[in-house]
Amino acid sequence: MAGAATAGTGLSDADFTRFTEYFYKRTGIHFTPAKRYFVDKRIDTCIRASPYDTFTGWFAALRSSDNSGMLQDLINQLTVNETYFLREDYQFDSMLSTVLPNVLAARGGVNRIVGPIKILSLPCSTGEEPYSIALRLLEEWDQIDHVDVEIHGADIDSEVLAKAAHASYGERSLQRVPKPWLNKYFTSVGAGRYQVDEGIRSAVTLHRVNICDTPSMRAFREFDVVFCRNVLIYFDELSSRRAAENLYGAMRPGGYLFLGHSESMSRISPIFTPTRLPEGIVYQRPTGGK
Amino acid sequence: MGLVRKQAPQQPEEVLPEKRSTEALREQLADPDPDCRREAALGLEGVAEAVPDLLARVAVETETNVRDAVLTTLSGYDTEQVAGSLAVHLASDDAALRTAVAEALATMPQSVPALLPDLLAAPDHDVRVMTAMVLADMTHPDTAVWLIRMISEDPHPNVVTAAIDAFLPVAGPEHASVLEGAVQRFPDDPFLRFTVQAALPRLSGTA
Repeated sequence: MAGAATAGTGLSDADFTRFTEYFYKRTGIHFTPAKRYFVDKRIDTCIRASPYDTFTGWFAALRSSDNSGMLQDLINQLTVNETYFLREDYQFDSMLSTVLPNVLAARGGVNRIVGPIKILSLPCSTGEEPYSIALRLLEEWDQIDHVDVEIHGADIDSEVLAKAAHASYGERSLQRVPKPWLNKYFTSVGAGRYQVDEGIRSAVTLHRVNICDTPSMRAFREFDVVFCRNVLIYFDELSSRRAAENLYGAMRPGGYLFLGHSESMSRISPIFTPTRLPEGIVYQRPTGGK
Repeated sequence: MGLVRKQAPQQPEEVLPEKRSTEALREQLADPDPDCRREAALGLEGVAEAVPDLLARVAVETETNVRDAVLTTLSGYDTEQVAGSLAVHLASDDAALRTAVAEALATMPQSVPALLPDLLAAPDHDVRVMTAMVLADMTHPDTAVWLIRMISEDPHPNVVTAAIDAFLPVAGPEHASVLEGAVQRFPDDPFLRFTVQAALPRLSGTA
């Protein structure tokens, strides 16, 4: 229905279109009308938290002032951050059983490797993924005492990064963490919540970055393994291509890229080489030219 | 050994490589090092005056990853002029270039529709096959209409088969007659007939 407005925000169809175009230009994330209800609710939350009473006033302030705080609040509202420890952990199995041994071999083996093995979790949301990687490495990779490993987490959302830094989680996030691991690497902080111990928290470096923003992604280099799961599905074709190019630039030649189980790089860009491992498909940055 | 924290500086902003000027990036597009050319192509995102340099690079670039980076940056200019300049390569003898350009055009739904009358009437049927590939991946409300037109009207069976392949993901039971019509137009083409016969049960939900 043209010109229709939904309850709460008073957003008309034309407003929705203007808003989604603006948000796409700033972040690369595209919302179709199918996400209308979700977007309306989140915008409503932003308007209620602002000094403005209407969408028109709030949106005008957002655009005209180029207010980075307002935009960041909006990004925080509109990005989905639900995750949990050891999610889709068949990919962590793959990392341990095949990918890391291959990385180690390609870099000269345990005795000759120069510099740390670098692993990136992007987006890392509230931290469950990078900390899961750390736990799996510490508990299950027999080379962890012989090799340096750097783990990095990055996300566009500053609020989830703050939560990732605090690393305190409830039952839902921790449901798949084995009890012995919980006892070994977490501290109870009350109300059923557990905090990741300082030793692991301090080993994970967190960054705020937009995966579609090529200039800021240039800071990420020489990663051996990248987890980029369940984010490309939010992007349109062009933004997905940009994200793929930026991931390529962040990786070492021969490096491995894990996507979410429903995502396929082959539909986005031809620059990675799909490799079938026993646990599923992983994508590699080619080692040579052409 | 073990988990180690990255040494300072911690913030990526602090370690960003120096930003090069537009002029330097344009020159860098011809650097002998492919990585430098690729960086330049991505660094020129949003630099309108570099579009002619990027378009020129598409034709001569030999490294596929550099060419893909050039095409990604050009895809951000969803204009008739850029799309038209890229569409020329759909007739290239270089299959990888044809495919890469088709993938890039599929991300340009604002400008590609204006090119379709010429592309659908191209005398080279391979260009029309590539056009079906573009439509297969392009997000646009009219892609089904254009593909049905190709299936119903194009005189070459390879183009019709390519259009059917592109159309099947969005086809429903109501489109069975469109596919059957294609078989009737090319009764001696076994591959086209096989494609339709394999698809019809899926369309009707009997597969």
